[in-house]
Amino acid sequence: MEHILAALAEIATVNTLLLMSAGAIAGLLAGAIPGFTIAMAVVLTLPFTFSMTASQGIATMIGVFVGGLSGGLMSGILIGIPGTPSSVATTFDGFPMARQGRPGLALGLGVWSSFFGGIISAICLIAIAPQLARIGLEFQPWDYFALVFFALTITASLAGKNLIKGLISGALGLLIATVGEEDINGVSRFDFGSDYLQEGFAFLPVLIGLFAFSQLMGDIRNPAEARRSLVQTGDIDIRIEHMKAAKIVLSRWTNLVRSSIIGIFTGILPAAGSSISNILAYDQAKKASPTPEKFGTGTEDGIIAPEASNNATAGGSLITMMALGIPGDIVTAVMLGALLIHDVVPSPSFITEAPVLAYSIFIAFFFANFLVLFFQSVALKLFVLVTKVKMYVLAGIILAYCGIGVFALNNIVNDMWTLLIFGVVGYAMRNLGFPLAPMILGVVLGPIAERWLARAVALSTDMTNFITHPWSVFFLTLSLFSMGFGVYQRERGKKVWPFYYTPVMVLALAPAMFMMEGFIRPGIGIVMVAGGLYALYRAHQKAVYFKTAAKEST
Amino acid sequence: MRALNKDTIIAILLLLFCGLLAWSSLHIRLPGYGTLKPSTWPQIIVAVLTLFSAIYFVQSLSYPGTDDDKGDGRKPGFAGFLEYFRNPIICFSIYFVFLATLPWAGALIGGILLVFALLTVLGGWTPRDLVRHAIYATVSMGFMWTLFTFGLRVILPEGEIFSIR
Repeated sequence: MEHILAALAEIATVNTLLLMSAGAIAGLLAGAIPGFTIAMAVVLTLPFTFSMTASQGIATMIGVFVGGLSGGLMSGILIGIPGTPSSVATTFDGFPMARQGRPGLALGLGVWSSFFGGIISAICLIAIAPQLARIGLEFQPWDYFALVFFALTITASLAGKNLIKGLISGALGLLIATVGEEDINGVSRFDFGSDYLQEGFAFLPVLIGLFAFSQLMGDIRNPAEARRSLVQTGDIDIRIEHMKAAKIVLSRWTNLVRSSIIGIFTGILPAAGSSISNILAYDQAKKASPTPEKFGTGTEDGIIAPEASNNATAGGSLITMMALGIPGDIVTAVMLGALLIHDVVPSPSFITEAPVLAYSIFIAFFFANFLVLFFQSVALKLFVLVTKVKMYVLAGIILAYCGIGVFALNNIVNDMWTLLIFGVVGYAMRNLGFPLAPMILGVVLGPIAERWLARAVALSTDMTNFITHPWSVFFLTLSLFSMGFGVYQRERGKKVWPFYYTPVMVLALAPAMFMMEGFIRPGIGIVMVAGGLYALYRAHQKAVYFKTAAKEST
Repeated sequence: MRALNKDTIIAILLLLFCGLLAWSSLHIRLPGYGTLKPSTWPQIIVAVLTLFSAIYFVQSLSYPGTDDDKGDGRKPGFAGFLEYFRNPIICFSIYFVFLATLPWAGALIGGILLVFALLTVLGGWTPRDLVRHAIYATVSMGFMWTLFTFGLRVILPEGEIFSIR
């Protein structure tokens, strides 16, 4: 309780709330503008957070994150172009409803669903993360390394269409992090005799260069499109129908809760984010609806489901970050980087070791949902103004800001050169079809993985420790399946083996549970074996049916 | 003989890069203390990267038509490349000049010139555009400079010409 009060004292100050409000408005705008991603907004917020305390900095970024998730609905509903991938499904019913002359209600439904979805996930974050984090107290260096190794294998899932390019991108990220003096012995690596390389690459310039700089270059590549306004709209004068919308959302509470749970669960899973959860929730709402044929024509449930789930995803991804210290997506990777800049290393023992900061994050997430609700109308007016700005004007100014922002990190001009170099690298990689998310994950997690490996080896050079410690076994097994996840996603529904993927994974994880002490976890292991065997039997039935159907069709 | 596709060329470059890094990793100083050598982790990564690059190379030979940019309307040859990427190339070049002249021009003057040059190259240079871009550049950089210098207490690079940070 004392930690919660101390955290509340940190967050509920005028300064922090003002910073969070600014973050929420910036996030709402970034989310609303098609072409600007939430990750980019969070990345660009980073330079401002250096002069803040860790809790203030993270609170501001959470404001941007939650704002960004809610902002996407504005453009999706008003102009039919989702501001972010997390609002794609909102457009299916939000835009038709707006065209039917009910834009105020459509926006209201989106705003209030986002709010309730966020609050439900904030409650889950506060309830689940500390419980999950208790497991972290059992972790030893071998377990930590296995956990970070698992996080690195997420790159396979983030790879998108081309698995090998994603893996190369992840490995390049790890490599970037090894350049310069290492933390453990102070030995310089890959410096080729250059003082610049000996210093190593700071995280922030690499991140802004790879992500923001290269994306802006992509936005202005086409000269004609660069000279257009951001969105071709006329004047918009709409009032959000708050009261009516809130009543409708609460009356559809089953859809709201179901969609929020889908969002939270998707957020907890590494590499699955709000871009997936909003579509999943929409699909489930349609299946559960007595009138599924109305979906896509401007139905209320079609707006509630995706908006509740995409905001709930934020709480889910924060659970993974807070409880296990691993980023599930690019936004939490950036937040993890921000914590590292403030000398806070998130790990499974993070909540126990830095409880005030951890609870500050919980409270900030809770507050952010209220702030976003409050500022939505303000952001709507600003959004209309920003849409009139031409893309090249925005890009030119942001490029200059990127340079000044990265300089602020260490007050050295070399960081600005790093920004330019990685801007070029990022742009080239984008154009060559290499995804950047795995690379960023590699840059963030590489040094952490090496540190834990060094600690593990310093304690004992016996490598069998990796297969005798239950949590290490658990995460290494999970890593094997995570590496195959990209192929599994690609071949699901096309080949027979993906039917067996999940049951085999559950069965493979069970031995690690049996290795753990006490009765509960081995008991869970027994349940996993029983469930896995049943799922294997069901998978076999489906596989046989699939093969027969395939034969008949040929 | 068929010409090498883009993926194959990149895979070859990556393999050469891996070779360079593997050679460099052999020259990492070993301090004689600590159990995990400073070269171990980089060598693991280089080995993994080499493996992935080799797979990419083999894939690129097996599927020669997987270039991602097909159908993007780009004209063939180097001239087509320059035309297609004109804006990014110019922007990167302007940014390079900005950084190279930063010790001389400083963050404020250099920044204003950077924004002005970027906007003019990207948005056009009619007299009206030039005035508008000059206003945008001065106001935006002036705001950023003030915010970072006085708000965030960051000592931005000072220029030699006017000794203005």
